[in-house]
Amino acid sequence: MLKEDFAIQSELRRMLVRTSINYSRMDFGTVKGVVYIRGFFQISSIAPDTDEDRLKDLTAKTLYSFEKKVRNIPGVSDVIFQLLNWRKERGQWVPIEVVKKEEEDEGKTESNG
Amino acid sequence: MDKRILGEIEEEVRVHPHYADLQHLLALALMAGGEMERAESHFLEALHLNPRYREALINLGFLNIETGRWKEAEEIFLAEAKKHPRDGFLQHVLGILCLKTGRVKEGSARIHRAIRYHSYYRDYYKKKGVWKRGKVHLDQKAERTFKKIRFTYPYAQLYNLIGLYLAKKGKVTRAIKELRMASGLEPDDFIFHANLGTVYYYQGSYPKAIRQFQKALKIHPSYGMGYANLSYVYGLMRHTSEALRYMKRAVQINPQYADLHYNLALLYSDRKRYQEAAAELKKALRINPNYLFARINLGVLYEDQKRWKEARREYREVLQVTPNDEHVRNRLERISSLRRR
Repeated sequence: MLKEDFAIQSELRRMLVRTSINYSRMDFGTVKGVVYIRGFFQISSIAPDTDEDRLKDLTAKTLYSFEKKVRNIPGVSDVIFQLLNWRKERGQWVPIEVVKKEEEDEGKTESNG
Repeated sequence: MDKRILGEIEEEVRVHPHYADLQHLLALALMAGGEMERAESHFLEALHLNPRYREALINLGFLNIETGRWKEAEEIFLAEAKKHPRDGFLQHVLGILCLKTGRVKEGSARIHRAIRYHSYYRDYYKKKGVWKRGKVHLDQKAERTFKKIRFTYPYAQLYNLIGLYLAKKGKVTRAIKELRMASGLEPDDFIFHANLGTVYYYQGSYPKAIRQFQKALKIHPSYGMGYANLSYVYGLMRHTSEALRYMKRAVQINPQYADLHYNLALLYSDRKRYQEAAAELKKALRINPNYLFARINLGVLYEDQKRWKEARREYREVLQVTPNDEHVRNRLERISSLRRR
């Protein structure tokens, strides 16, 4: 497979616009077929009354679908997410604040025990 | 005006009443629907939120023309012309306003200025039979024509903004319809072609996108992002020599954009022109020293050229910012072990 980084980068740009992702706080780059995505991941056009759990669920689903789409771009060999607000753990997308809180809670439980 | 779209915009304004852009868009939509009073209040609200919102002010001027409030319209355009005395468009509007109010001599002088400041108006008035042998000739027939003339600019702008609004919501087919109306009404305005080209690019209609970008660039040859967009489209079509040619032009026009240098570097790198690629990446990093991808690409380029020391230096810098980058760490470890062998 030809790894034309410029074509991957152009396709990624096109793809981002066509999704419900607010990409204004994200950067992306391509290095020999490896796509890098950094910054804050947010979805756009959310109704103001959407509750927090629903928003997290929607964002996680959008991340799965986005990752799949990026991996399907011809020439892409890997995708590296360096997001400030979400990370993948054991195949699951989790918001970083939640992870921190859970870690704190676990720490408390352990010290209590 | 599509009532469904109007309803959507009204809802957006209700949710985000402090967005001047949305107030302006709603004002234009109401103006197109003939609701002039409501339109005026939203133009004023947009200007209240952003007193330097030039488009909103100009469109308020057009609303005054539409409602026959010549004096108020003239005040707006005169104030703008004072700020931008060599703006041919403003002189053209003021000229027509003078003709509409029976001031032929002043109108003629304004038209003369419009032609002097913007070559587009030379052709425009030539076609109308008003510009002949270097002079403005306004006979009674021409005067009558200009008295009746309607400015299409705010309506073209409405179609344009609606098109962009729909495109942002992923409704590409409807967006294209609106943007085509905009460029049809004002075919000499480059931005409407450029926006239509961009939406065709998003849709994947590459030949159509190319045609629109080329139209935009014919009107405005120094529109740098037009060349960049052409380059992206050619890149997707795997026409790399065209992509390279247009990206070079985009960089030439906008040398201060790190992202364009980065994209040019990718094009050189794809063609194995490593030295030129490295030079562009260094330029991108000079503009934005935190441009991490540019640094990773530079490390990989050095690696390809077996310049291990430079590659290691770049990777280490990357790892200082993102210590968990396994991809870069593996690359660094690999070249470090090569050195040991």
